[in-house]
Amino acid sequence: MEILGSIFIDPFVDMVAAPDFLLQVLWEGLVSGVLYALIALGFVLIFRSSRIFNFAQGIMVVFAALTLVGLHAAGLPAWVAFIATLGVMFLLAVGIERVVLRPLVNQPDIILFMATIGITLFLVGGGEIIFGGENKVMISDELGIPDGSLEFNPWDGFLLIEARDVTVVFGAVVMVAALLAFLNYSRMGRAIRALGDDHQAALSVGISLTTIWVLVWFLAGIIALMTGIAWGSRAGVSFALEIIALKALPVLMLGGLESITGAIVGGIAIGLLEKLFEIYWGQPLLGGSTEAWFAYVLALVVLLFRPQGLFGEKIIERV
Amino acid sequence: MKHFTKLALAGALATVTAGAAMAEGLYLPNLSYRTGPFAATGIPLMNGQRDYMEMLNARDGGIGGVPVIFEECETGYSTEKGVECYERTKGEALVTQPWSTGITLQVLPQTNVDQIPILAPGYGFSPMSDGKTFQWAFNPPASYWDGMSMVLQAISGGDLSSLSGKKIAHLHLDHPYGKEPLPLLEAMGEAHGFEVLPIPVGISEMQNQSAQWLQIRRERPDFVIMWGWGAMNAGAITEAVKTRYPMDQFVGVWWSGHTDDLQLVGEEGAGYRAISWSLPNADAPVMADIREHVVDTGKTLASDEELGEVFYGRGIIISAILAEGIRVAQEMHGTAEITAPQLRDGLANLNFTAERIEELGLSGMMAPFSTSCANHTGHSGGWMIEWDGTQFVQASELLQADRDAIEPLEAEKAAEYAAANAPWPMNEACEAS
Repeated sequence: MEILGSIFIDPFVDMVAAPDFLLQVLWEGLVSGVLYALIALGFVLIFRSSRIFNFAQGIMVVFAALTLVGLHAAGLPAWVAFIATLGVMFLLAVGIERVVLRPLVNQPDIILFMATIGITLFLVGGGEIIFGGENKVMISDELGIPDGSLEFNPWDGFLLIEARDVTVVFGAVVMVAALLAFLNYSRMGRAIRALGDDHQAALSVGISLTTIWVLVWFLAGIIALMTGIAWGSRAGVSFALEIIALKALPVLMLGGLESITGAIVGGIAIGLLEKLFEIYWGQPLLGGSTEAWFAYVLALVVLLFRPQGLFGEKIIERV
Repeated sequence: MKHFTKLALAGALATVTAGAAMAEGLYLPNLSYRTGPFAATGIPLMNGQRDYMEMLNARDGGIGGVPVIFEECETGYSTEKGVECYERTKGEALVTQPWSTGITLQVLPQTNVDQIPILAPGYGFSPMSDGKTFQWAFNPPASYWDGMSMVLQAISGGDLSSLSGKKIAHLHLDHPYGKEPLPLLEAMGEAHGFEVLPIPVGISEMQNQSAQWLQIRRERPDFVIMWGWGAMNAGAITEAVKTRYPMDQFVGVWWSGHTDDLQLVGEEGAGYRAISWSLPNADAPVMADIREHVVDTGKTLASDEELGEVFYGRGIIISAILAEGIRVAQEMHGTAEITAPQLRDGLANLNFTAERIEELGLSGMMAPFSTSCANHTGHSGGWMIEWDGTQFVQASELLQADRDAIEPLEAEKAAEYAAANAPWPMNEACEAS
């Protein structure tokens, strides 16, 4: 009976007893969720247009962040380094299309997936050769990301919101809005969607596969750079950032691999739910560290009922 | 470009040394981790280790006139890769330097068969101190349990009874390394009446520890003791600053006292302390020798800033301990080209007196200690080092672990380990020594 109380009653009593703390948990969950969604977006964008599960998205985050910090350390002003990093990510996209993807057109999906593992290994090795493996400080101040925090006292309690986290959430919203506008209203954006819907039909109306692939890998590179800045400003820039890609997998399982909306909703849902579960159930009942598996269990439960994820496309094939 | 040149140099050296491994020399493999999520911690340590051995080769022609072949095998801090490296290098190796508590625990039983000493300075399984049970394993100059004991003394002002009624959070990597000091901390908590709150951090949460620090905000522990590694350190210190946890109540183990990690928060991290059995000392004679023979000749992989950091200095001490073990073994057995079992004898007879430390040019970098057949750690003690906003500075006199409290637990856990891995060979000769 006691255990039932600690599962079904105590957590909610705690929430009501300290609503300011609950708000803090929700805010931290929202920030984490936005960061997860950012990583997942990179995967979705490439999968939508090419059916490639881009294993390299995590290392692209590291590579982009290291390039930004490295160029700044080499003497470029922060915003010049930012633009130069975008240039590097564009060149990377062109290189990947020319050297890796183009020779593998029409190969099975698994071959293309394996190729992205190769890209990962190349970027890990290249990144370490060029930038070294030491921890580096993200140039947040130089980029104008505000420091400090905002304090509130709801219900006579205490709520602390980092200005940096507000910037991350705001930046992510702007970026996602811009991305959706681009995909829905621009000619190239519609071409990306067309290619995702049907390769052959898209090619038959003159959409260039190579141009679109360069474009989506470049867009994934931009997202990687923004993700790298957001995560790097929290805990430094190092190859440990690659691990955060693991967080995108349950988001993709939950939201669906093809859906940008799914990546956003899935990311935020996982961020909020895993934080709530960890604080109110995981730490008191299971000794903590439930965030390592909670999202996967949640995604597994969703997959039992919706194998294509919450927003994924249901594939019906005639046999 | 600078990194490219250094990596090219490392590659060339690795090729040379790998080829030379079969040639004459003292083959000392190091299971390093210069890549992956823990690379930021590993690189300065490995550089310090490597540069000291390079210096011995350049200055003295090796140890006892025999060149050192110091070869790295990259594990990325992965236990599986570490075991592969152990298997690959054990044929010629005089020693195994596993560089991870997980790898140490995996290869520990195998060393009884392969008869190669494990050297795990300041890490591994704390009861390895018991040389009678762990005859092939050495963890000088201090074990994790020594470290925890010293941290408790530091935060209690030397009187552990003052911790009665207090709450101490143990923020740790959810890994064998992070859990290692928990048995001692819990035993000390029971003995002295303080509450222990273990807070694990999963590897995928190292850089986003908001849940752990929300728990700290809710539980309001009087002290937070961190057993962090790699990116976890920076993540925790950033969150501590963000949640305004008092820095003077936040203390780390020696692997959580890394200059790079604290540079992320700079002034805001001032007051954070860590226990350390090594101190950086730019004026030590050994540093001048390393500059002359390794840095100035372009053989180092370290940057100029790194040379003055805590972890680079610790890497030097680790190699100095190994080199001294080799010298002692050479003297004991009357041969310069020693075998792995002979090196075990050397490591079990280390005697770092203040005079010997000075002779080696290591003054101000380590504390005296000695090992024996039964005592494979030496228990040198350590200092608290404190982040002053720009660098770590010494913040205490030499602290000593409460060995009277630790020894019974070490004996108990060593016996448990031997029973769980029976038949486990014991070194009965130790009883007589």
